[in-house]
Amino acid sequence: MKKNQPLAQQQSPADALIIGAGFAGLGTAIRLQQQGIRNITILERSDDVGGTWRDNQYPGAACDIPSNLYSFSFAQNPNWSRSFSGSREILEYIHHLVNHFNLRQYIRFNQNVSNLAWDQDKGLWQATTTNGDVFSGRTAVMAQGPLSNPGWPGIAGLDEFKGKKIHSAAWDHDYDLKGKRIAVIGTGASAIQIVPELAKCAGKLTVFQRTPPWIMPRPDFTTPDWNKTLFRKAPVSQTAVRKALYLAHESMALAVIWNSPLTRFAERLGRWHLRKQVPDRWLRRQLTPDYRLGCKRILVSNDYYPALQKPNTKLITWPIDRISENGIRTVEGIEHQFDCIVFATGFEVSNAGTPFPITGIGGRSLNEEWKRGAQAYKSINVSGYPNLFFTFGPNSGPGHNSALVYMESQMDYIVRSIRTIQSLKLKALDVRQSSQDDHNREIQSRLAKTNWNSGCQSWYLTEDGFNATMYPGFATQYAKQMSKLELKDYRLLAAEAESETV
Amino acid sequence: MAKIDLDKMLEKIKDTQWSLSDVDWDAPGAELITPEQWPKLKAFMADLMWIEHVGARAFAAMAKKAPDDTLRQIYTYFHAEEQRHANAEMALMKRWGMLEDGELPEPNNNLRLVIEWLDRFADDQPVYVLGTVVPMLEIALDGALCKFLLDTVDDPVCHQAFELINGDEARHLGVGFSVMEMQGHGKTYIELIRMTAQLMDPRLILGIASYFPLLNKMRDNIVEMGLPEEKLYEAMRKFEKIGGRTGDGRRNPWFQIIKHHGRFVVDRKKRFYHAPIDALVKVADVIPRKAFPEVPSWVKEITYQPTA
Repeated sequence: MKKNQPLAQQQSPADALIIGAGFAGLGTAIRLQQQGIRNITILERSDDVGGTWRDNQYPGAACDIPSNLYSFSFAQNPNWSRSFSGSREILEYIHHLVNHFNLRQYIRFNQNVSNLAWDQDKGLWQATTTNGDVFSGRTAVMAQGPLSNPGWPGIAGLDEFKGKKIHSAAWDHDYDLKGKRIAVIGTGASAIQIVPELAKCAGKLTVFQRTPPWIMPRPDFTTPDWNKTLFRKAPVSQTAVRKALYLAHESMALAVIWNSPLTRFAERLGRWHLRKQVPDRWLRRQLTPDYRLGCKRILVSNDYYPALQKPNTKLITWPIDRISENGIRTVEGIEHQFDCIVFATGFEVSNAGTPFPITGIGGRSLNEEWKRGAQAYKSINVSGYPNLFFTFGPNSGPGHNSALVYMESQMDYIVRSIRTIQSLKLKALDVRQSSQDDHNREIQSRLAKTNWNSGCQSWYLTEDGFNATMYPGFATQYAKQMSKLELKDYRLLAAEAESETV
Repeated sequence: MAKIDLDKMLEKIKDTQWSLSDVDWDAPGAELITPEQWPKLKAFMADLMWIEHVGARAFAAMAKKAPDDTLRQIYTYFHAEEQRHANAEMALMKRWGMLEDGELPEPNNNLRLVIEWLDRFADDQPVYVLGTVVPMLEIALDGALCKFLLDTVDDPVCHQAFELINGDEARHLGVGFSVMEMQGHGKTYIELIRMTAQLMDPRLILGIASYFPLLNKMRDNIVEMGLPEEKLYEAMRKFEKIGGRTGDGRRNPWFQIIKHHGRFVVDRKKRFYHAPIDALVKVADVIPRKAFPEVPSWVKEITYQPTA
């Protein structure tokens, strides 16, 4: 089922039209299937499943949440080879999910959605893809991923460089890096994983840093065989470990999200890690963050600092002036010349707009409404866009715990809502604007007290400093928020009648 | 109030960048340096280059302490730009055959003390202190030295390089004086109390102990190279004139201190000042090189090569 489906099949509306076959899209399909909802269409822009973990296969790519927590609670994997798995193993897990739950039947590959519009008369969402195909669904699930499109930096002369350009999220595995003069721009989550790997093979490696991240030690180890056997034979033991990891991460919220004595403690731990690994005073100064821990994403690594001190590696903290034909010009007046520039510059964040036009009731445009910062009700619904659900919608981002924990709460909310739509025979389930506003007022007042809003610049914030990304609380609080479908917060439109039923 | 819009200034800084490869360091003209000039010029350029380099380190400290993000970015650029000046001056030295391949000129002992102080204590200093001392150093030393250089050296490449350098310096001074005025705005009394406390800080006293002799040492060097010391004093008076052009500027207590200190420096008759400071210069001169700890690694970041 690789290419276009027969028209008849496309025209029959799905109960759930899911955009994206990554963790969120596939997980939602599994949960729907388990509830007996099988009329599902998943639109995937690529020719394979996996989303983030399919795209991010750069050298050293791995998850910085332990695998026992970065997996679905309803599909635990006893065979993780390490405490923090690499991207390839996570992708294998996703493939396993697809096969085990027989999800391939739902997926339409190479269908890149370019437009999503609500047809009020029919009560259907219509997704048009770049192929010109149209798919419809009584409900639609945005599972395209919050970080799925490579973000390129706004550096002058980006197109002038004559050497090789590689983005971390679209790695070119055919390009031989051995002995090359390589630049890495960026020192975020991807960069600190790439740099140690490149330092092993590059002739010369130069890392360009704008802001140093907080880096914590990474308790990574190979899973012993007895552990795998134990998890296989007594799954309850894995559930217990998962619970313990969950609680350990929950406690980190106290350091990460809010400014507390634990924040100071974590900062001391970060500085201790730096001091232990970097003897040179000036290099240590360059690598010491000057913003409060938690304001930007906290990273974990044991081999990043040592890699920077290898004889073939150099850290540059001078501001970049421009990219030239042969390399990168920095403000200290030197042109650093390279064969290859690696852009570990993250992703386009849709915290102010939508990845493609989404049109709701009466032709309203979500892109327009979100221009000054995205807002939703409980991160999942937006008023005026009935039967549309967002995974990792506005203010659902975790800073301290597994994204998959949050995702499971969202998936269950979606399944509950779709079952409600079906059982009450609703044409439209549309959240009330007032409920959405109340929710956002509360979220924003809580966010004001968090480290994310403490003054640094990060991708969590829009250009105006509006935080449309993070959830200000424990994962447990978020799960509680998502545990109940409060019908009083919605306008319900019956399938047969044009009037509101509630 | 601030006379310049710092956001606009930051944009301007970003728009007026240049790099060493914009200059043809092999263009004709190097032969215009006379054999008499050569040895003096070598010592002079080494000092100048080191002053730029320590200025760079001071801006790095200021970037850490900047009161807002715009100023933090500006100081980050200035840090790199001062480094660029040191690099360009080293490229001139290389052009004039004053450096072996890979050679780094030796800093004099007074500069060595300043480097040591900056490395250890600059990051802990309040932004007000460096924010006032740095414009003084720039206007007095940088300004006077550059002028002297352009008056005596005919090499067109030198003139081309210093045109670029002076363009940057004008912005550095513009921001420097503007920040001094911001700091003087309506809080004199509190600042005075705070400053008195800061003056008691032994780290600052050590800083003063390295800054004062540096000025006298530079004066001696200038005299030795045949520049009338009056030119240095003219430049220092400019600090007083520009820094004190507004009420806010004059209310900045650090400006007052540096200004009064400048008056001492330019008046050789003030023996109570010059006798001990000149003695300190002499003491510094006889400190054996090996008595200094190893130079911090930022010192080795300078290069005369336009590409890396």
